[in-house]
Amino acid sequence: MEPHLLCTGFRRAVVCNYNPAKRRILFHSRRGYATPTETSSGSQDPVRAAAPIRFSSNANQFAVNRAEFVDDAENSVGSRPGQSSRIPLLERIRILPASPSYFTGTPRFTDDFLALRALERKYQLLPTLPLAEAPRVAWKTLEQYRTELGEPVRLKRYSSLLTLLKKLNSIHPSLFPVEVERALARYKRVVQPHLNQPKPVVVDELGRARAVGRRKACHAEVYLVEGEGQCLINGKTLTEYFGRLHDRESAMWPLKATARLDKYNVWSTVRGGGTTGQAEAITLGLAKALLVHEPALKPALRKAGCVTRDIREKERKKPGRIKARKMPTWVKR
Amino acid sequence: MLLAQAITQMAPPQCLRCLRNSLQLVEHRSLIQPPTRAAFSTTSLLSAKAAQPRKTAGTSNKSKTLRLSKNIRQTAGKPPARGERKAVRKRIVLSNTNALEVDGLQDLTADKLARHSEGTVALQTFTGQVLGFSDETVDALRALESFKPTQAWSLFRRPASLVRKETAALANDMADTETDTSKVARKMVFGEKGSGKSVLLLQAHAMAFVKDWIVVHFPEGQDLTIAHSAYEPLRTPNGRIYVQPQYTAKLLLSIANANQALLSSLQLSRDHQLPFSVQSNMSLFRFAELGGRDPTIAWPIWQALWAELLTPATKAVQRPPVLVTMDGADQVMRVSAYLDPEAKPVHAHDLALVRDFANLLSGRTQLPNGGMVLAATCASNRAASPTLDYCLSRTYIKQEKASNAWHLLPLRGPSWDPYQLKDARVESAVMNVSALKLQGLSKDEARGVLEYYAKSGVLMNAVTDGFVSEKWSLAGHGVIGELEKGTVRMRF
Repeated sequence: MEPHLLCTGFRRAVVCNYNPAKRRILFHSRRGYATPTETSSGSQDPVRAAAPIRFSSNANQFAVNRAEFVDDAENSVGSRPGQSSRIPLLERIRILPASPSYFTGTPRFTDDFLALRALERKYQLLPTLPLAEAPRVAWKTLEQYRTELGEPVRLKRYSSLLTLLKKLNSIHPSLFPVEVERALARYKRVVQPHLNQPKPVVVDELGRARAVGRRKACHAEVYLVEGEGQCLINGKTLTEYFGRLHDRESAMWPLKATARLDKYNVWSTVRGGGTTGQAEAITLGLAKALLVHEPALKPALRKAGCVTRDIREKERKKPGRIKARKMPTWVKR
Repeated sequence: MLLAQAITQMAPPQCLRCLRNSLQLVEHRSLIQPPTRAAFSTTSLLSAKAAQPRKTAGTSNKSKTLRLSKNIRQTAGKPPARGERKAVRKRIVLSNTNALEVDGLQDLTADKLARHSEGTVALQTFTGQVLGFSDETVDALRALESFKPTQAWSLFRRPASLVRKETAALANDMADTETDTSKVARKMVFGEKGSGKSVLLLQAHAMAFVKDWIVVHFPEGQDLTIAHSAYEPLRTPNGRIYVQPQYTAKLLLSIANANQALLSSLQLSRDHQLPFSVQSNMSLFRFAELGGRDPTIAWPIWQALWAELLTPATKAVQRPPVLVTMDGADQVMRVSAYLDPEAKPVHAHDLALVRDFANLLSGRTQLPNGGMVLAATCASNRAASPTLDYCLSRTYIKQEKASNAWHLLPLRGPSWDPYQLKDARVESAVMNVSALKLQGLSKDEARGVLEYYAKSGVLMNAVTDGFVSEKWSLAGHGVIGELEKGTVRMRF
């Protein structure tokens, strides 16, 4: 009797020490959303999931009832050695999966999904921002999420998960619940590129706005000051630098498109590439510098095609070809 | 033995002593009528008859390709005759009957060049306006070859040009030298391509013509130095110089034609030592024309004519001021393409005509009756002349610093590369010449010229402030050639 009691007490102590928080969450979540909360029939005991199996070096480990491992408060408080025999047989011998979604094929995903749905339902009455104004977040990609779970999550399912995430993310920041924030953190990528805000460019004390534009292999640094329409590129006038009228026009296009040619002076250094690329690099730099002076011109400049960087670059040459794509002339022999 | 025989057989049909005479004949004739054979060839024309292509018996002349209508090449008549294309390219058209007549277009007249009581010329008030040229002026300018085929005279009803700040300044200088003959402006005009250097010379010609000055113009410095005209050595006390008889004759003819009215009223004032006899009271027009017609006597006549023009005026002998100009003067500030007897290149200042011009430009030859010497560089066909570039920029910076515009300039002037040899003759010619840099027009001037374009009907846009400043900016701060290219010449 005495050794048996001692042995059981010891085992209880071990079980209590074993990560009780995690166990409790598991227990609560199971209670919370997956299983019916009230036991409708008093005659039958509630069905409980079996605890995860922990293997140890003890050869006797499977001789004990598994139910004793369950970290149940009522169970552990007034436990007696004879009590185990009072737990119904079915519960003692039946092994239940830890997650009720065990048989869905993607149990962890389903759990995640249901958890997020529950959160959404819980906070559905909080005010939200329009989706476009919600803080931008880079969510994990499907591949990353699959690898993390180790489950074959389908794209469509993941999209619906993302929809939920975005909906939760659009809760008004002033009322954003800590619980949601914690839940969402799991789905965010480690590196958030949207947090990298460019430094705001300002007009300096001499009235200059500086901006950089690039195109093809060219790099243009443009300084814009208020003036009467003069332009110097690498110390030369526009006509000296660009022999072609088209290049001159495309370099000054942001000012011309917004009817500001006689309001500003341009001073620019440009390097690399050829004439067309240099002219268009100046276009981009000039548009950015103009936006520093007059941010309201952005729609007009976008319409004029001056805001977006043209990312096309020269395609590399490939072995076996004369240029990037060109094949050598076909010779019969 | 065999070799010697071969050489005697190869000997030319004419003896070498006669070669020079025959060459002179050829060159003399070439000036009057179009050349029928190459000047350097001494063989008869008969021998140059092209060999008939021989037909071999076996081959037929027919082509082997299928004769379809699409295979037959369409030819539009005869190909242009020899020299025709070049004539079209070099043709100067001064009128466009489709262009509108501009209302209220005034002409450049003598009263606009007169001085006001407050000291400025009347032309100053016309700055930023376009003034036309009278028919006589146009004839004189044509004779001087002031018009160039690259300029857009053919777009407008009649020749007219914009009075810009520099034009008024030139008019002021001209008025100065008329009151005080010792004040002779000697200027080198430079500036970027299309900035109006040649047209400024043309305006100077027109003003001088209107003021009854004598105008001498070298239309293109390059023609003097690229060895396209004959030359012969001449011994002088200062060394050997080279005379270009044909070019001199052409120049004399252009001087005579351009200044016909004025030169006809002037007569020879003294006896000149000439290899031929001339009438003592011959008019200078006849005298110049005489040299223009005969290249063999062109050089002595050129010298005598200049001696006449540089004679100080007295009550008996009238001598007007002289305007001497050269376009493309950078070409004569370097070594020429001619070779001396040792087959070394001849410096351009060893050419007699260039030397005379350089003396006038540098002030070594004084103009006792007043006048003006202008030289314009050429930016599109630029000759490499580092000494000229160095001297010009140095003078320009010095002038600007003196005129208190130093804050717009680089802090340091140009520096000479110590490993390069400076051309001392060029430096001495250009050192004391003032530099006139032509830059873009001001916005008011640009507006004036754009309004003229619009009134002529060649520019369809409304000339508003925005339009003017846009074109001004795109033309690199109002470079007039670019302004014209961007508004009138460009058709979408």
